[in-house]
Amino acid sequence: MYNLLRKELKLGVSPFFYVLPFLTGALMLIPGWLYFLVILYFCFITIPNMFGGYKSQNDLMFTSMLPVTKKDIVKAKISFVVILELLHIVVAVIFGMISIRLYPKLTYLFFAPSLGFWGLCFVMLAIFNIIFIPMYYKTAYKYGAASIASITAAILFAGVAEWLGIANPFVFDLFKGTGAGNLAIQLSILLIGITIFAIFTIIAYHIAIKRFEKVEI
Amino acid sequence: MLALDIKNLSKRYEHFHLQDVSFQLEQGYIMGFIGANGAGKTTTIKSILNLTRIDSGEIHILGKNMAEHEVELKQEIGSAFGDINFYTRSKISSLTNVIKTFYRNWDDATYHRYMKKFNLIEDKKIAELSTGMKVKYNLALALSHGAKLLILDEPTSGLDPVARDHLLDIFQELVGSGEISILFSTHITSDLEKCADYITYLHNGRIINSAEKEEFIDTYRLLNGRKEQLEQIKDRLISYKTNSFGFTGLIYTTDLDPALHLTSTVPNLEEIMIYCSKKEDTYV
Repeated sequence: MYNLLRKELKLGVSPFFYVLPFLTGALMLIPGWLYFLVILYFCFITIPNMFGGYKSQNDLMFTSMLPVTKKDIVKAKISFVVILELLHIVVAVIFGMISIRLYPKLTYLFFAPSLGFWGLCFVMLAIFNIIFIPMYYKTAYKYGAASIASITAAILFAGVAEWLGIANPFVFDLFKGTGAGNLAIQLSILLIGITIFAIFTIIAYHIAIKRFEKVEI
Repeated sequence: MLALDIKNLSKRYEHFHLQDVSFQLEQGYIMGFIGANGAGKTTTIKSILNLTRIDSGEIHILGKNMAEHEVELKQEIGSAFGDINFYTRSKISSLTNVIKTFYRNWDDATYHRYMKKFNLIEDKKIAELSTGMKVKYNLALALSHGAKLLILDEPTSGLDPVARDHLLDIFQELVGSGEISILFSTHITSDLEKCADYITYLHNGRIINSAEKEEFIDTYRLLNGRKEQLEQIKDRLISYKTNSFGFTGLIYTTDLDPALHLTSTVPNLEEIMIYCSKKEDTYV
């Protein structure tokens, strides 16, 4: 399992995708922007390129000939995706903290980079994972339809969340009103987000294994 | 001990059916796996490596059931697919550094010895290697992790005659110690005449014959005769071709009747393959 993860890190993708989180993360410095996009770039750019690379390099065949179980192949790949997702979020959080200090008096129309907002980002990636991963492992090489479906769902979530943040008094209050300064509320939203992310990804992993066992290589 | 024991392997696809494939390979020998394009050679090989799900049958490698001991057995298997490339833009050295972490018996000294012997340069990218070099790189990898069974899918296809001959010499050298066994598929029958100990012939998803090479060839005789003689023996021929002088046909040696005074010769593998497939096709 550890050697498969090493394979993913060293061989699987271009080092460009380790730099990308810093480029997209820097977008957090745009004042009052639609910050969901920063994380969505991972879904737009990294995922299709990464899985396109696997397809063109015959990664599936390569990995299947190694002395590893099918279960570990799936586990390593999903772990790698999660590592990249976390990298995107962590870097964005750091840039977000800089952003807040740079523009202390800004009125945000969209969500500010608060702890609660990062919780929502985790939920968005949870939705992305639970759609993309099981769909991809039906064939373990076709990523097009899986990308379109999962990206659409993630955008819908982000859109609805932003809209509620503007139109719904409860959500507005939670993120931009009295709740914004309440660390307990913000931290709870973040923790709930992380929990949803973990649960959805684990479910996706189990469905993926079941589907991958049936794949003809 | 049997390096490879395949029993009643079956796999049905929409347009193709691998039926009841059984054959055995003794440890320390080379088995040539022949058949026309689309006969099911690659499907059989993929089934052996557990890359496709089989409908029924059993595969034992080095005495152990592949379905139950897949990961363990893959430590003992080296495989190469002639026409599939992986991570072609990566350097040999970076690919090796990743691959070696998967094998508990990996030996760097053996690896460097074979790299030197096969004239492979670690700084080269996979895409820069010739077809023959790629096969040799795969062999070097397999030998460095102490593979006992080499499963090679069309390793000689696309090689020039010199490179092919060189590769066949390497195969013979490898089995010399009696520990390594090789199963390689090909449609180039002259390769097998040079180096195979056993021959397994697959046609349309079924085994036509699997035997020691001399025995395999000795099973058949090629007959030449005049047109009028054809009628007498037609039913006993596996298949035949007619021309303006008469006919040429393949017959089982046991069906040969010396009283008929026909010229019989020992066929080569190509002739056996051609006439046997002709027979099968007339049935389809």
